[in-house]
Amino acid sequence: MILQTALLIGLVIFSVLAIALKDLLKSAISLAVSSLLLGIIFFRMNAPYAGVFEISVVAGLITVLFILTIALTKSGDEVRESKLVNWVFPLVFVAFLVIDALVMKGLLGKVPALASGPEAGTFGEVLWRGRTLDLVGQIAVILAGVFAVLALFRKRDKHD
Amino acid sequence: MIILFVVLPLIVAGILPLVGKVSRRVLPDLLANATLLFLLVYAAVAGRALIAGGAVLQQSAWLGEAVNLRLALDGFSLLMLVAIALVGFAASLFSIDYMEHYGAKANYYALYLVMIAGMNGLVLATDLFSVYIFLEVAAVASYALVAFGLGHDELEAAFKYLMLSVAASAFIVAAIAVVFGMTGSLDFAAVASALQELNAGPVLVIASAFFLLGFGLKAALVPFHAWLPDAHPSAPAPISAVLSGLLIKVSGVYAMTRIFLNVFGLTPALSTVLMWLGAVSLVVAAFLALGQKDMKRMLAYSSISQVGYVVLGIGIGTPLGIAGGLFHLFNHALAKGLLFLTSGSVQQATGTRDLDEMGGLAKRMPITAATNLIGALSIAGVPPLNGFWSKLLIIVALVQAGHPVFAVIAVLASVLTLWYYLLMQRKAFFGKLNEKWASVKEAPFWMTAATVLLALLCVGIGILFTSTITTWIQPAADVLADGVHAMTGSWGF
Repeated sequence: MILQTALLIGLVIFSVLAIALKDLLKSAISLAVSSLLLGIIFFRMNAPYAGVFEISVVAGLITVLFILTIALTKSGDEVRESKLVNWVFPLVFVAFLVIDALVMKGLLGKVPALASGPEAGTFGEVLWRGRTLDLVGQIAVILAGVFAVLALFRKRDKHD
Repeated sequence: MIILFVVLPLIVAGILPLVGKVSRRVLPDLLANATLLFLLVYAAVAGRALIAGGAVLQQSAWLGEAVNLRLALDGFSLLMLVAIALVGFAASLFSIDYMEHYGAKANYYALYLVMIAGMNGLVLATDLFSVYIFLEVAAVASYALVAFGLGHDELEAAFKYLMLSVAASAFIVAAIAVVFGMTGSLDFAAVASALQELNAGPVLVIASAFFLLGFGLKAALVPFHAWLPDAHPSAPAPISAVLSGLLIKVSGVYAMTRIFLNVFGLTPALSTVLMWLGAVSLVVAAFLALGQKDMKRMLAYSSISQVGYVVLGIGIGTPLGIAGGLFHLFNHALAKGLLFLTSGSVQQATGTRDLDEMGGLAKRMPITAATNLIGALSIAGVPPLNGFWSKLLIIVALVQAGHPVFAVIAVLASVLTLWYYLLMQRKAFFGKLNEKWASVKEAPFWMTAATVLLALLCVGIGILFTSTITTWIQPAADVLADGVHAMTGSWGF
């Protein structure tokens, strides 16, 4: 229980850091650490597949992509950010924590749930037999992402 | 083969960048338009035969083995499919000439077709998580399309749109998680019947609130509308037409009504919330539209206002109200698509969207001016155009259901709508021709053809409104009016 709480607190702290830090590199690394912690939490909650994907894809692959991108871009003009963000985000965050603490515990006890059996079948069966349409959707999302990158980083030759 | 609606645009999108290497313009134009024309004909001709015996569920096989590619087609999804194919085809015809100066046409069409596939997938999906995934497919493609011009405004608008859309997705996923936690299922029919067994009052309220926030943001209902007046005007005109005409309705209104009416069941409280949201959007956005000087921004506010009508109509929950709401959804898709396309013609000819700089353009661009007038009068609800009948249905339904105050609001907002559209007509197309525009010419052939197509539909549906309602709208309204029974009764395997 203590370990679980520590992991959850760490997850929140690193997620907040990922948003709040100004240095992109540090921000990307915080995000990687937070998803590593999330992966461990998944493992401890008996969801090994989710854990493996979280750690390999989000903590691993995406972090590498982020760091590569940061390394490839030049430090350009200073972007002025609104000062509003500095106090709005902590305010919203604290408000969320307070509401969460007040509401969630009482609420969770009241959630009615049907008795659901353990997930039917192996991971492969669930993915290929159960959620095939989602795979089509995933392919479409990847296509959209690739085309978006091609479109947004094309040479601006014709348009003003 | 219902799956074609999703897979065909995806396959064509996949090969378009390769085709673009061979032919930069002609082949991508041809391929994309042919695909959309095929989908339009397929939906309009084969669709009705498919659902003649009630809703169809199709499960596909892959190499002889049944895989879980489950899609369902009923009256409501068919209406949406036809609307998507119709406006999608018109906007892609328009793109042939309009997107010429943006470059990277193959890439543009690829993104465009992925967006269409996402919308089609969403209206055919049979479970909550698939709805979410296809919502994201359409959204990711639309972010890139909004930013397609790569100018400062476009990028800023796309970023703002992305941020608010991500917040919307987060709410939607949270709601799905709550529902899954309670019922142990994601399938519409299974969730609907499980919720009947559970006494899930307060938790269902939370799930509904999350869905309302998420889909409210996607549909840009007031007070969740901040992103739309930036995103829609900044996009290239055909994309504005699809975003305002289709995307906010598919990923906002369709998803919301499908889940609230067919899965959760419309409670009186939910009905009241929807009606208020609709009425507030209707009035607030109409006032905001009045003050706009930017032509496309005025149209964008008008979209928020008209989605308000749709939600108000569906929110009543009576069969007539639902039919009115859906009819208005369809009519608005056509008319707003038309208006955004004509605004694109004007912008391309004059290089400005500022209404104060325009004037007298009807003399130089008679077809654009005439089609724009038809679109404007249709949305304002002037008889005998299509928009009049749908607004009339909504107002009659409001009076019948005992909501005279809402009916008065709807009528007054309609007057406001006519007011700002007449302002637009006067400033842009009528009056003295601004000397700057003496050499302006009518829009190129395909752009004009697309607007004429939509304008003819607006007039035609207005005249043949009874047959449109009986063939397309009533089957859709029946599904929604059937409530939870529509899912549990006919969608089981």
